[in-house]
Amino acid sequence: MKFPLLVSQLLNGLATGMLYALMGIGLSIITGVLNIPNFAHGALFALGAYLLYTVIQLVGNFWLALLLAPLGVGLLGILIELGGIRPLYKAGHDYQLLLTFGLSLIVTEGIIIVWSPVGMSQLPPPILRGGVDLGITFYPKYRLFVAVAAALLVLGAWLFLEKTRYGAIMRAGIEDKEMVSLLGIDIHRLFTTAFALGCVLAGVAGALTAPIRGLNPLMGVDMLGIAFVVVALAGQGNLLGAIVAGVVVGLAQSLVALYWPEASVAVIFAVMAAVLLVRPQGLFGIR
Amino acid sequence: MSALSRRDVLKLVGAGTGLGFPAVLRAQAREVPMLGLWSFTGAFSDVGPVLDRGMKMALDERGMKIQGKAIKYITRDDETKAGSATRRAEEAVDAEGVKYIIGPWSSGVALAVSEVAKRKKVFHYFSGGTEDISGARCHRYSFQWAASPYTAAKTVVDTFMQANPKAKRWHLLVADYAFGWSVEKYIKEVGKTHGIEFVGADRHPLGEREFSNYVTKAAGNKPDVVAMINFGLDAVTGAREIFNFGLTPKIPLIMTWSAGVEELVQLAPEIRENIWVGSNFYYTADTPVAREFVKSYQAKFGGPPGYAPAASYGMTRMMLHAMDKAKSTEVPDVIKACEGLEVEDLVGKMRVDPKTHQTLRPYFFMRCKKKDAMKNPMDFADIIATGSTPLPAEYAACKDIGSL
Repeated sequence: MKFPLLVSQLLNGLATGMLYALMGIGLSIITGVLNIPNFAHGALFALGAYLLYTVIQLVGNFWLALLLAPLGVGLLGILIELGGIRPLYKAGHDYQLLLTFGLSLIVTEGIIIVWSPVGMSQLPPPILRGGVDLGITFYPKYRLFVAVAAALLVLGAWLFLEKTRYGAIMRAGIEDKEMVSLLGIDIHRLFTTAFALGCVLAGVAGALTAPIRGLNPLMGVDMLGIAFVVVALAGQGNLLGAIVAGVVVGLAQSLVALYWPEASVAVIFAVMAAVLLVRPQGLFGIR
Repeated sequence: MSALSRRDVLKLVGAGTGLGFPAVLRAQAREVPMLGLWSFTGAFSDVGPVLDRGMKMALDERGMKIQGKAIKYITRDDETKAGSATRRAEEAVDAEGVKYIIGPWSSGVALAVSEVAKRKKVFHYFSGGTEDISGARCHRYSFQWAASPYTAAKTVVDTFMQANPKAKRWHLLVADYAFGWSVEKYIKEVGKTHGIEFVGADRHPLGEREFSNYVTKAAGNKPDVVAMINFGLDAVTGAREIFNFGLTPKIPLIMTWSAGVEELVQLAPEIRENIWVGSNFYYTADTPVAREFVKSYQAKFGGPPGYAPAASYGMTRMMLHAMDKAKSTEVPDVIKACEGLEVEDLVGKMRVDPKTHQTLRPYFFMRCKKKDAMKNPMDFADIIATGSTPLPAEYAACKDIGSL
């Protein structure tokens, strides 16, 4: 195996893994704090991509679109939490699960109605088109940007959760909601913030992915599956674990494509199955 | 009033069935039920609605009548799954009296439906990249509309090498299922005659969305050309990634077996530059039937038809031609009439090989236009060649098509 090719695949795996980590952290926050598997996470990822496309069409500025698209998804997240999930807290877990599943269908169909079922392309901004010679391999500028941007976002999310007071409250919410509530913290606002933050991360992952994979109403379906794998691998609600698991999945996919390309999709689930057989609580889960 | 006894209920059911059954038979004698088996959900869900359009258009042209009988057109969702498709097909045959099935779109799914057609003795027309329907798994009830993978490979490789004689290092990217394997085999066979060196050939799963891993491998092989043998969203995602990695437009990309319009519309003009496209249909095909079809389709739906609606339209027309020739709507008569049927139709001269049920017909090869050469947003490409070399006898896997 040629060394430059191996390096190129490793780099690729890291870049893809960072995107997976971004999705995984968002889903992990929602799953951890609200204790519901957000089946709409993939559809919100797709919505992020479509909002990016529309803002670019309207104002012609990629960077502004990259800022506004995730915020739009976050705003929708707030509305979903307030209008949909909150009234169902007392109804029970199953109803919330059904709600997010229904929402995923509604958002996907909404995308089809607004933007058409036919896929579209969104080019990277001119400054990030083409590739750079890294000495041992040639790599697209935009992918490098995505790897760095996703890594910074992952780092930012981690610092927010680990080093800020609100992050500490959110982590406490993951550990013991009742205790947080007893300490006089508005648990409902915590839930809304956590859901919105998860949605923003899904939206930004979708927006960053649009120039790489293009836009398609069902683009979130694959990503949802991967995000759940990342959460399962990490251990529910484990944020550092989500980062590591995202990178592990990205690298596994990339390296398997090098030696056994036919299995590059199956390996994602094979890795999950293997880890869960040995550690049912996930890589970093404690229970 | 006394309650109905079990015997009374059985009598009523018997009477009801006895009265109703002849009515079903009478209705069936007056009408010809036809099934459009399309993907409305699953991997090819984007294509289902346009396939439905094409078949409807062909039936509407006949005023929904054939041989003096009303055509009853029904559709079912195959979910792009063999299990669902076979269940829907069997239900339609048993409950609706369907005798004619067009579809499905996926090669793997269609092979399963072809077995149902054989078992239930119903007429089946399919268009796709697997060679098995008119090859190793041929039988009297299934017909293939798409060009043979050999015809496609020969058209693409010969024409491309004529235009780019020095492009001898090819890297292949192949969808890992029946269609991909068939076309890959013949690309390599025809490639030998041009001295092409296949520096890499990676197979990817159907529905792959992360193509960067394959593209880095392709780039590492330093090919003169990358040829993809995949379809639909796989092809679109692959082409986009090949552009992102800077391979196109520096080196040419061949989309060997493309949906044409349905795929090209999803790619920005910058991405399409230096893409060469093989397809079973392109809307600028210069035949009287194609011109009329394209005009009518554009008037109805506001854009040109791609391969999918053209295939469902074309298959339905071939089936109706066979009924005309047979002067009958009985399946055995129509099958016999379809075998050897020769017509000037959608893509030009079309003839059904009676020995294999392969429709012998031209295959199109296009080159995408640069952005500034496009006359309108749908002016994607120019047809640069059509080829109709049939599969040589030594490759034919259909040795005995059997009996009815």
